[in-house]
Amino acid sequence: MNWHVVWESRSVLLGGALVTLELSALAIGLGTTLGLLVALIRTARVPVLSQIARVYIEIFRGSPLLMQLFFVFFGLPYLGFDVSKLAAAVWALTLYSGAYIAEIIRAGIEAVPKGQKEAAYSLGLSPYEAMRYVVLPQTLTVALPPLIGFYIGLIKDTSLATIIGYRELIRESQSIIDRTARPLEVFTAVALIYFVICYPLSLLVTRLERRVPAR
Amino acid sequence: MFDWGAPIRNLDLLMQGLVVTLQVATLSFVFAFALGLVGALARRSHFWPLRFVATVYVEVIRNTPVLLQIFVIFFGLPSVGIRFDAVTAGIIALSVNSGAYLTEIIRAGIQSISRGQIEAAIALGLTPAQIFGRVVFPQALRNIYPPVVNQFIMVLLGSSLLSAIAVPDLTGNALVVNSRTYRTVEVFTFVTLVYAGLTLTASGLLNLLGRLLFPRATAR
Repeated sequence: MNWHVVWESRSVLLGGALVTLELSALAIGLGTTLGLLVALIRTARVPVLSQIARVYIEIFRGSPLLMQLFFVFFGLPYLGFDVSKLAAAVWALTLYSGAYIAEIIRAGIEAVPKGQKEAAYSLGLSPYEAMRYVVLPQTLTVALPPLIGFYIGLIKDTSLATIIGYRELIRESQSIIDRTARPLEVFTAVALIYFVICYPLSLLVTRLERRVPAR
Repeated sequence: MFDWGAPIRNLDLLMQGLVVTLQVATLSFVFAFALGLVGALARRSHFWPLRFVATVYVEVIRNTPVLLQIFVIFFGLPSVGIRFDAVTAGIIALSVNSGAYLTEIIRAGIQSISRGQIEAAIALGLTPAQIFGRVVFPQALRNIYPPVVNQFIMVLLGSSLLSAIAVPDLTGNALVVNSRTYRTVEVFTFVTLVYAGLTLTASGLLNLLGRLLFPRATAR
């Protein structure tokens, strides 16, 4: 074992870790927005849109993220749209996570007793206000643990961007390995970086799960 | 502009890939389940070193990307003289990865069995092995059947990552067909739909199997 190579490459590794965090933040933010939108369309049973949402969820939850990434990265240029590696990764991760997050939020909304919405209406709140101030805040207590659990998965899944050549943490580590021929040491360091990012979130999920009252 | 015949004309190659996907996923899942069972028992062991090893295994695997685990086994281990071909490395990586998730699922299943069941089995004079095999495990499996099916679907979809180490699975062969025909949208749309059909069929069949195996579970 030669840990010297890892120490010498620390700035490259940390740079890669930052890129991974950026990509994760973009995917989490955009995926949650899309997921919330799709969940609202489905729970409100908006005609036509609701059916489209269902097909979208089935396809994006039923096929591999890597396939979706290839679709965006190779498919869009084929259709005449120019996409950078970053844009392709962000789009694919957003579309993929939106489908899962929509189902997590929908389950959360459905777990809120109907009486809550009815009470909000009888107090004169508009459907928007009832959703925004009464239902959604309560949704969060149920949906937050699985949501953060999914975010952990998404952070790990940003590693797939390396396959289309985006210079995130794993791609940077491979360039170090090409130079030093010390794969195990470098991969161990990379695993440690991912662990440091993900493990606190995992602990948070465990704590939140304990707090949610059993239903 | 589109030529939807392109994936159809290369159907043989794509179907070969589909067979590899199914084989790799099924084998990995079987190994992962065995690993998960051992892991769950180790996590409930009274012997703390065993508990510690199982906990480290679960936490390390669940908090690092599966792609990295695949790369460690395929690109990392040869540097210490351990060499696998791509398919073997892929099956090992998927098994080890999914085994960590199944450890937690099976552990939760065992925990869901009430103490009274075990006490009753002891009172009837069953041996510890009989108690686990005939009382605890069958009931645990019934309780955790849905997440176990879900885990199989995850392995099925996760196997697409093995195309990154040149395993000729459905995704790998889709890339080959793509580079041969340059019909990117047609080929990837077709393959995406094949995956979606596959996961829908697999979860449908496995849920049906669950209803046959655990008739009482559906009555609740």
